[in-house]
Order: sequence, then C-alpha cells, then structure tokens
Amino acid sequence: MTTVRIAGLGKHFGSTVALDGVDLEIGTGLTGFLGPNGAGKTTLLRCLATALAPDRGRLDILGHDPALATQRTALRRRLGYLPQNPGLYPNFTAFALLDYVAVLKELTDRRERHREVRRVLEEVQLSDRAGTKIRKLSGGMRQRVALAQALLGNPDLLILDEPTVGLDPEQRMSFRALISRLGESRTVLLSTHQTEDVGALCERVVVMRGGRAVFDGTPLALAGLAVDRVWLSAQPPSGSRAYWRTADGRYRTLGERPDGGEATVPSIEDGYLTLLGPVAVGAPR
Amino acid sequence: MSWHVHPELLDEYQRGGLDAARVMAVEVHMTACGSCRATVPGDTRWLDDNFHAVLDVVQAPRRSLAERLLCLLGVPEHRALVLAATPALRRSWLAATAVVLAFAVSAAYLGREGQPTLLWFLMVAPVLPVLAVATAYGAVVDRLHEISSTTPMAGPSLVLWRALAVVGVSMSMGVAAAMLLPDRGWYAVAWLLPAFLLCLGSLAMTTVMPLQLAAGLLGGAWLTVVTVLANVLAAPGVEVDAAVQRQIFGPTAQAAYLVAGLAAALILIMRRRRLEPGGSR
Repeated sequence: MTTVRIAGLGKHFGSTVALDGVDLEIGTGLTGFLGPNGAGKTTLLRCLATALAPDRGRLDILGHDPALATQRTALRRRLGYLPQNPGLYPNFTAFALLDYVAVLKELTDRRERHREVRRVLEEVQLSDRAGTKIRKLSGGMRQRVALAQALLGNPDLLILDEPTVGLDPEQRMSFRALISRLGESRTVLLSTHQTEDVGALCERVVVMRGGRAVFDGTPLALAGLAVDRVWLSAQPPSGSRAYWRTADGRYRTLGERPDGGEATVPSIEDGYLTLLGPVAVGAPR
Repeated sequence: MSWHVHPELLDEYQRGGLDAARVMAVEVHMTACGSCRATVPGDTRWLDDNFHAVLDVVQAPRRSLAERLLCLLGVPEHRALVLAATPALRRSWLAATAVVLAFAVSAAYLGREGQPTLLWFLMVAPVLPVLAVATAYGAVVDRLHEISSTTPMAGPSLVLWRALAVVGVSMSMGVAAAMLLPDRGWYAVAWLLPAFLLCLGSLAMTTVMPLQLAAGLLGGAWLTVVTVLANVLAAPGVEVDAAVQRQIFGPTAQAAYLVAGLAAALILIMRRRRLEPGGSR
C-alpha cells in the first residue's frame, strides 16, 4: 500500500538546486536513500518530515497534504523523525529529554507519558541509563536516545537520516535489528552513506544525484547494474579504472575487464559506483 | 507443602471477603506454596499499573524549580515542562539580564552632570524582553529545534508560549529593577508599553522573516531612535533628558505605543499560521 506520494518535488537554497523534480511512491517497509553529499537526500527527508517547505511539487503522506497547516499537524502526530544532526540538550537526562519531546508530541498525561518514555528506552536498550545526563553518554548512546525520541507515540512513518553514523559495528548491528523490526509494520525511510546498511535492511533503494532520483528498485537490482563490470585479477589494471587490492592479494577492478580478469559477483556498492561514476567517489561532476 | 488452602477460603480471598488476619495467613502460605499460588490468577493490569507508579517515583526526573513554580501558579504540568525548557530561561541569560539592569539602575544614580536620569534605564529596559523573545525559539538558539519543529506542538503554539514565558520573566526583572530607580515617579514604568510593542512587533515580523532578525531590527531601531532624538534635542538651555522623556515616554507617545502594539497583535493573530516550520512565509 502506498503511504508516501511525491510528485515533482523541488527545492532550492539561493542558486543551489537541492531537489529537482523528484517523483516517488513509497509503501510500507524499509526504503533506503543513497547518494553522495549534496545529492538532496537530507532535503527530501526534511520536506517529508515537515521541517522544510518545498518550493514546488506535491506531497501526500499517510493521506495528509503537509502544505495545509491543519493536515501538517495531523501528519506530525503520526511521524517520527531522526535528523542528521540531532541536537540534544546536554544537561537533560535521557529520561527528561524524552519526557520533554513526548510533551511536544502531545502526550500530556504524566503517567501515560512516562510509561511511553520507558517503552522507547527499553526499545533502544537504554533503560539502565534513563537517569544519565546526555553529556555523559557515549556517541552511540546519544544516537540511541535520538532514535528513541523518534519512536515516541509509535509513529506510522519513521524518517531516519543517517541513523548509523558514528556507531561501532556492534551498535550498528543492534540498530539494524531494531530498524528492521520497526519496518515490519510501518513505513521507514532511511538515508545513509552505508551501502551495507541498505543491503542488510531495505527491500527498496532510491539513489539520488543532483536533486533527482536516478535509481529506484531493489538492492539486488542496484547490484545488478555492475554485472560484468567487477573483476578480480592477479595484476593491477592499467589505465585509470577504480581498483583496490583485496585481502587475498588479488585486485578488484570496477569497469572494463583488466588483462586476466575474472568476473565476480557485484555488491550493492559496485552497482552504486557504476550508477554514479566519478561523482560517487568525490570527483567533480 | 503438605497442606493447601481450602478452595472455599481461596474463593473468599479472591473476592476480597477475608479479614486482614486471614488475608495475611493465606498470603504467607502462598508465598511458599506454588500450587496454591497458581490457582489465584494474577491481576496483571493492576500489577503493571503499580509497577509503573513505583517506577514513576524512582525513575522520573525531578521537577525543576521553574516547573514547580509554574505548577504552583496553576500551569498544567506538561505546559510547565515545556515552558521551563525554553532556551532563553537559562541561568546565564537571567544573569546577563540582571547585570544589564544593574548597570542601567547604576547609570540612573550616577546621572549626567550631577543630575540623576532615567534615560539610560528607559532606553535599555524595553530591549531586554525583545532580546529574550529572540532567544526563545528557532534553530539558531535551540539545539533541539529540528526535532521539535516536526512535532504537533511546533509552530504558533510553541513560539507564543515560550515568548510569553520569557517576556514574563524579563518584564518582572525590569519592574523589580525599576523599583530601585531614584526619584522614579511614573516614568519608572514608562518602558512597559514600548517593550510590549517591540515584543509583539518582533513576533508579527516573524511571519515574514526569522525571529532573531526581526528582534534585532526592531531593538536596533528603538535604540537608534532614542539616541538620535537625544542628540537632535540637545540645544543650549534645553534639559535634554527631560525633553526626550517627554517626547518618547510621554502620554502621547504611550498612546501611540498601545495602538501600534494592538495592531501588531492583530497582525500576529491573523498571520499566526506562518509561524509554522515547514510552512511557507
């Protein structure tokens, strides 16, 4: 079932075009957004989270049009948003911060609100740190508090902008388990630079470049773009193709077949790099 | 356990019909006897409610002094929590406001050419609530703004409640400082209507520009006008401070501030939806 409809969405900041006519239809489950810096992922998610008004285009999110004030408020009652840089009050405890956000989410009854705060703290496995001040928590724990605030009120739509940034492998694994569980019954939009996160979690991936959605399909289809373009060879390839030395001493090349190269199974990252070319590795467009 | 509670006694226990002594006897037995315990269904909802009530006492954050004061004044608990979290109501801001007012009161005593003057105080006092409003809401001053701006309470409701909180605090501090002025007369409160106008004017202008810019423009304009007027009126034989006080804080000017303030309030009410983050100005 389609829960998010985006039609011709555009946004610019001064002379910079952040979104250039994005059209997408998204349903329940986990959808990942990939793209280089400045591709428009965060701007798109901020528009969907009602933090930013687009310049043009239409949005229909959970049956609400956020361009209309009353529907925007109705939508906000049903969404949870984890921004890219969630600023948290350092002198608040984890419990007090969530309690405050819960009030902003209209959970006014003190007992019910505290029950909900305890529920989300348990979801992110921070019950034992409820009384710890934010400034005394590690980066990973702060990120979990930030995720917990998005879960308050059990929202139908979760928008997570770079949720796994700054987490160690163990924390990322536990985050993935939580996010995949959340995606079973609601729409979860996840922006990330980590192609492994998309491969592990998302049933659908959208790749953005220059404010446009340039790919929309399954992670497998994205990896498929690099079929017969990924090679393993004993010698490094000549020319300017992207390659690196693997743990077994062979050279993994993306692009034209090097001398003596054997085709290998492409990853999502290979598909992503093939799609975006030099832009993906930071070269000028 | 070789013996068990008689079924009739157990029924009576579940119905709550036993006296305290027999309830205690049954419960002591059930503590040790799993078989009897299993025959009494647990009231999970009651247990859950009690568990959360205990956790509420143990785990919930202590209310701040500001929250407790607001609750004493009859403000609902959830509203008090939001108001007390207003970024401007930090100790550093309160201290800075107190210092500025102390300087303004001191300047009144030191005066000019040996004469006490209220001019510095009257010039500065209306600007403090505007600065407070400027630091009450927005991405520049609130690190949680990106999150709070996507909650249902975001927008006019949050902006206005926070503005009300900081204006209330800064005006109270201003009134307290005014009580310390020398030879104060009614001019000691002559800054209240200009402050009212500047605050409402900033909020009304926020419907077309960022709050901090609006407050900066209006606050700056006020300081400029008073300074320029003081220089324009400076002439041989004219008592400048008294002349400025009459021009800027006299009855005619006060009436004008009131009318302009009401107009700003009207604009604010009509355009309040434009205070919404995620809405176009």
